[in-house]
Amino acid sequence: MSALAASVRDAGFVLKRLPRGEWGTPLLLATLIVVDVSIQPALLDVTQIGLLIQTALVAVLLATAQTLAVLARGVDLSVGSVLVVTDVLTATKLGGLEGDRLALLPLVLAVGAAIGLLNGALIAYGGLEPFVATLATWAIFDGVALLVLPTDGGAPPQQLTNLAIGETAGIPNSYIGLALVLLAWFALRRSPLGVRVLAVGSDAERAFLNGIDVRRTKLIVYTLGGFVAGIAGVYLAASTSTGVPTAGDGLLLPSLAAVVIGGTSLAGGRGGVGLSVMGVFVLVFIGDLVAALQLPSWVATVASAAMLLIVVSLRSLPQVLARKETA
Amino acid sequence: MSGEPHTTQAQPVLDRPSPFAAGDGDGLRVAGLDKSYGPIAVLAGVELHARPGEIHAVLGENGAGKSTLMKVLSGVIHADAGDVSLDGAPLALGSPDAARGHGIRTVFQELSLVPDLSVAENLLLEALPTRPPGLIGRRRLLRDAAALLERTGIAGLDPRRRVRELSLATRQQLELAKALRTPPRVLILDEATSALGPAESEWALAHARAQARAGAVVIMISHRIAEVRGHADRLTILRSGRSVATGRPGDFDDDGLIEAMLGRRVERLYPQRCPAGERVVLRARGLHVPGGFGPEDLELRAGEILGVGGLEGQGQRALMLALAGAVPWHGQLELDGRPLHHRSPRAAIAHGIVLVPEDRQAEGLLLNHSIRSNIALSSVARLRGRLGAIDRGREAEATAREARGVGLDAARLGEPARNLSGGNQQKVVLARALMTEPKVLLLYDCTRGIDVGSKADIMAALAELTARGVAVVHYSSDAAELVHLCHRVLVARGGRIAGVLERDQLAEDELLHLAVGTRGGREETAA
Amino acid sequence: MTRHLPRRLPATAVAFLVCGLLFAFATIRSPDFASASHMRQLLVFASFVGFAALGQTLVILSGGLDLSVPWVMALGGIQLSIWNGDGMSSALGVVLLVLIGGALGTVSGLGVTALRIPPIVMTIGMGGLVLGYLMRVGLGSSTAASAPAAAERLVNDTILGLPLIAYVWLAFALAAAWLLRRTAFGRALYATGANETVARLAGSRVAAVRVAAYAASGAASAFAGILLSGYVGQTYLNMGAPYLFSSIAAVAVGGASVLGGSGSYWGTVAGACTLTVLAALLPTFNLDAAWLNIVYGLVILLAVGINRVAARAANG
Repeated sequence: MSALAASVRDAGFVLKRLPRGEWGTPLLLATLIVVDVSIQPALLDVTQIGLLIQTALVAVLLATAQTLAVLARGVDLSVGSVLVVTDVLTATKLGGLEGDRLALLPLVLAVGAAIGLLNGALIAYGGLEPFVATLATWAIFDGVALLVLPTDGGAPPQQLTNLAIGETAGIPNSYIGLALVLLAWFALRRSPLGVRVLAVGSDAERAFLNGIDVRRTKLIVYTLGGFVAGIAGVYLAASTSTGVPTAGDGLLLPSLAAVVIGGTSLAGGRGGVGLSVMGVFVLVFIGDLVAALQLPSWVATVASAAMLLIVVSLRSLPQVLARKETA
Repeated sequence: MSGEPHTTQAQPVLDRPSPFAAGDGDGLRVAGLDKSYGPIAVLAGVELHARPGEIHAVLGENGAGKSTLMKVLSGVIHADAGDVSLDGAPLALGSPDAARGHGIRTVFQELSLVPDLSVAENLLLEALPTRPPGLIGRRRLLRDAAALLERTGIAGLDPRRRVRELSLATRQQLELAKALRTPPRVLILDEATSALGPAESEWALAHARAQARAGAVVIMISHRIAEVRGHADRLTILRSGRSVATGRPGDFDDDGLIEAMLGRRVERLYPQRCPAGERVVLRARGLHVPGGFGPEDLELRAGEILGVGGLEGQGQRALMLALAGAVPWHGQLELDGRPLHHRSPRAAIAHGIVLVPEDRQAEGLLLNHSIRSNIALSSVARLRGRLGAIDRGREAEATAREARGVGLDAARLGEPARNLSGGNQQKVVLARALMTEPKVLLLYDCTRGIDVGSKADIMAALAELTARGVAVVHYSSDAAELVHLCHRVLVARGGRIAGVLERDQLAEDELLHLAVGTRGGREETAA
Repeated sequence: MTRHLPRRLPATAVAFLVCGLLFAFATIRSPDFASASHMRQLLVFASFVGFAALGQTLVILSGGLDLSVPWVMALGGIQLSIWNGDGMSSALGVVLLVLIGGALGTVSGLGVTALRIPPIVMTIGMGGLVLGYLMRVGLGSSTAASAPAAAERLVNDTILGLPLIAYVWLAFALAAAWLLRRTAFGRALYATGANETVARLAGSRVAAVRVAAYAASGAASAFAGILLSGYVGQTYLNMGAPYLFSSIAAVAVGGASVLGGSGSYWGTVAGACTLTVLAALLPTFNLDAAWLNIVYGLVILLAVGINRVAARAANG
């Protein structure tokens, strides 16, 4: 069976596997889509949807990186700073006044992976708590990005921009980008590595009993996360045709919110990128609705934050009510 | 979704021959195995010889070292000294993988199933079938898992279900099925039937027998003496980290077994028991911890030491935590005649009920904090002086007094609690509890794994306490202690009270019989 | 002398020592560094970090983390300038904002204790709500609304050569030290951060101290924001941004364990001073302000790493 067909079948498999409690988010997303489309019928157009996906793709990539860390029972506070590093590198080193040097693109992506590797090493082999290690790298690489590009500017190569916002055979490339992300996730989930990641996040001790190299698995998780966050930065620079060294800080909350709203467990071992993508689109449609209703943008910010808190409370509630221990 | 799985009645048949030579190897030999955690020796020169083709049982009290031995053999922990060899060849057991590489398969007491993975993923975790792009062949995974379930005789279980959703009994069965995925050279069963009913236990033991017949070395740890008699060919008894007896089950009668497990120790460290008072301090009616204990009634009298016995995990923890206010409970509790509704340890302490928890390092002490502040932790509110600040003078004096009361060196109170030996650490936790001036003291296995001297100090403190009218509930895994220290002992089994022994009935073998169910006591409804 | 709590005095002393060494080093490179006016300035800067890190210290001691500090700080500065513009008295405004900050922190604390929401998620969420509110209040990039007079006086006026704010900071430091070392609250806080299970079973008020820690963090952050606006003379959305990293770094440098259970506010004070001197050193090397972020991150890693090594050595 072709990989595509297998993935489609897997998507159905995933949907069928959603336990009853998980229908909330798909329902929420469906509701938001219906409302948004009824207010803006013009949205139902391949190009329009493509634009929507385009704006969402950065968040999708960051949410993917965050999901990987969370699945392994960790967190990655540095996703935003990895993004800005590759963003400014794209804007300055790949393009800029000296002309386009697309051949360096793999190097830029490698930088993202390297930052992830650093996180992974600190956490898996240095024994640091994920929040501490990624907090520190968040600070460090925010600074690095500012060093490379102190103010907004730079010029990402035109070819990248064309790729980011262009079309292939009549379909906006953003669809393809989204599909690639989902495909990659389904491939990972179905690989032995994917099972190991979930095992480590679910119960690291028992994973060890089964011969899983817990430390190496964590290292890979954070490296992959850095790589994906790096792609997000390149994409952002390409699609906006500029470099913004401060874009990262505001993107941490949405990445976490998407993971939480999507339903991946913060304790690790359960969930996935598919769910987080749904979470991203919940946030995207909230934002789109806010714009369509011509409400000021702060409404979207508050709605996102509120949604995060509400959803995480709702998910906590069953355990709290059935608590095994008293106050 | 399908209901709980059941096992088929058919005798399991190995559908493939064991690649290992049947029955003529030397088997598994363990010699001189040592393992210590700090000053505490958990294994002290263990010897074991388990022959292929036999089921070899390992018996012992709680804390005798059985599980530690199994963990060493499974590569989970490293022994400090000693040799393990299989059929004459020494084994390097540096990791679980290494052990598995030698053909050692273990059914772990705490289970090695990953809760959020599916049944199929768990069963085949070491050998996930893959197809060319490196992906797991889902159909093959489910097929192989289903085949394994069928081969081992577990019916009615959807391999796609998440392990977290399954009952403990089902998980235990899966753990065994997992171990039998490939024919083992050594099959270790660590309490593999503890959660299983009679039919499932028979199923598990039939598998053990089948593996033995195929030439494997089978080692089983079980507390169910009936099981051991019925299925083991040989047995070894561990006590205090040593092998003290070995032979055929037929060589021992029940009393002999228990005598070997308990040992003949000269116990002079138990203080004189004063008669308990008449006044009922604590009365429980219908005390019930959902999923853990009860409903049961019990009474506690002033000046009495009420022992709680039974094998581990029979509901004692739920009972103690409920009395301490640390878990939700239902029913009625009365303290000194007044109804009690405490919902937190803080409330319990305010009423005069205090717990000395099970794990002194993880639940009892703040290891990096000073001994003094550990002792004072539960009583800081009462040490306040001017302006709400803690009166350091009073604190120093009060903590020193409590420390002396349990036999701690008052000069060392400024050191971090981490520096102390296990026995002294336990005394710190006890001192903290005593400082709250309780009416009821709950002790959770407080003498486990500590030296004789500290035990004596603690018991002297208890004697003095009860002489003053404080009531003590003393859960202990040491049957001798229960017999010599307590006025009465209630024995827990399966979350209920299997029986209560009065002073004149107290004897170690009686306790153990009640605990394992080999003699009388209140009938349990399900095994 | 009786010692109750983990030996953090050495860590605090070391932090002050490092601060002193860095200061000496800076003075060698640039003699003006030690001028009276510069030192006053450094003290004022350090006090901002100190207040932002006051609550953060309590929260970290309790085993959590507060990522909403930058936004509550901005709220303090921005809201006060708005109220001033509307004619409210500064004193009332300050009190109200500190209370509001405390209320916001209380909500965070309740989420963490009652709903068992991870502190990172809870405080990021709260920060987002505050940010949204600030966006609504609608600033553009900065308001030139006059900073509250009181705040300006705190940072500019001096007594005996030291700015007023230094005395206020000292007072708070003494109060915090007293709270942590001498009260039941402090004991319960350390116990909760060290091992929540032990604290709970021993009867400590785990939930109450946690909520109080977050409430204090909210109040202190609001106050820090007001101070900052007084010094800078204007308010803008991102005014609190650097203080997230610096508050956590100050706590770490001060020798506290980022996992909770050990540390002290004096350590944080030393950390705040050290970071301020470090920050002031950068220009002497012609290093961009962007290096400050890098420094914060490296300092956190270094401090945590040293802590772990020291802990392992002590426990042998």
